[in-house]
Amino acid sequence: MAALYRVLNYLGKNVVLTAQNRNISLSAVTRIKEIIQKKEGNTLTFEAVIKPDPYEGRFLKPKNGACAICSSGLDIKHTDVLILSQFVTSEGNILPRRITGLCETQQKRISSLILMAQYAGLMLRRSPKGGLLHPLQKRKWKKFNSYYDEKTIKARYK
Amino acid sequence: MSLLRKGQQWGTFACVWHIFDATWQDPFRSAHLIKKYLMGLYKPIYHPLNQCGDHVIVINSKEIALRGDQWQKRVYFHHTGYHGGATWTLAWELHSKDPTMIMKKAIYSAMDGTLQRRFTMQRLHIFPDDNVPKEILENVSNQIKQLRPVPNRLHEIPQEERDKIPRLIQYPSDYQLK
Repeated sequence: MAALYRVLNYLGKNVVLTAQNRNISLSAVTRIKEIIQKKEGNTLTFEAVIKPDPYEGRFLKPKNGACAICSSGLDIKHTDVLILSQFVTSEGNILPRRITGLCETQQKRISSLILMAQYAGLMLRRSPKGGLLHPLQKRKWKKFNSYYDEKTIKARYK
Repeated sequence: MSLLRKGQQWGTFACVWHIFDATWQDPFRSAHLIKKYLMGLYKPIYHPLNQCGDHVIVINSKEIALRGDQWQKRVYFHHTGYHGGATWTLAWELHSKDPTMIMKKAIYSAMDGTLQRRFTMQRLHIFPDDNVPKEILENVSNQIKQLRPVPNRLHEIPQEERDKIPRLIQYPSDYQLK
């Protein structure tokens, strides 16, 4: 029995080692922006492309060391989907604070506003099975319009 | 009597037809707005026993919006009068059966329970969509302003308009695009 465990352990370690033995890494050193995965027959190829930031020209620089939303002085509502979609990945997930660089209050506020917009059917939402849920394909009470009051968000500056 | 004064008098005594688009509007908040025109409360000659109310046409009542989770929480009570005849219907169930009923009940309960209320309700015309008969629509001379602007869905906004909006965040250099 002990020998069997040893063999299994050895195999498991080897499998992990082969998985880690890739020529690319996702760390800050390599600065990889996009990883393209291709499958041709039985061979799986990974390609890493360093892409320039497509939104660089439109970036609004924050002032006085404040976070992006505090310095812009915007009163963001849940219907402002063009602003809220900047804080969401293409899969419909909310970006973490590590990437958005917002202050704690604004990050919580933006997260609630994104959820409101998604529940109101204004933005696409991630389905539990993966992929995106279309707002018009809904059943029961979810197929009717609903709106939200921003005063109900607890995170705010007094 | 001057021409302006004549027009004022004519406007006061005329029975005006108003139209209200209920798309993305809260029925309970717009009920207080519609009630004002329906009873003629905005007219200087208003008196409860004076017949000075206007007609109001409400269109697109199928597209009303309720706040928060009220589609699941708001309950409409009805009793047939017999034993065990009580029913409780959720707002989304009532709206799927009759898309004009929530709007009608909201306006009815916004008004005081006087003898005039049922006659005032006869001047209200609710349509679930924008298919209004021509003979009704040609009377209309005023549009009531909506309380909330109609929101846009993100996937319906064209790409050119999306490209104009300034970016608030910049991805860090080690961020992996998805």
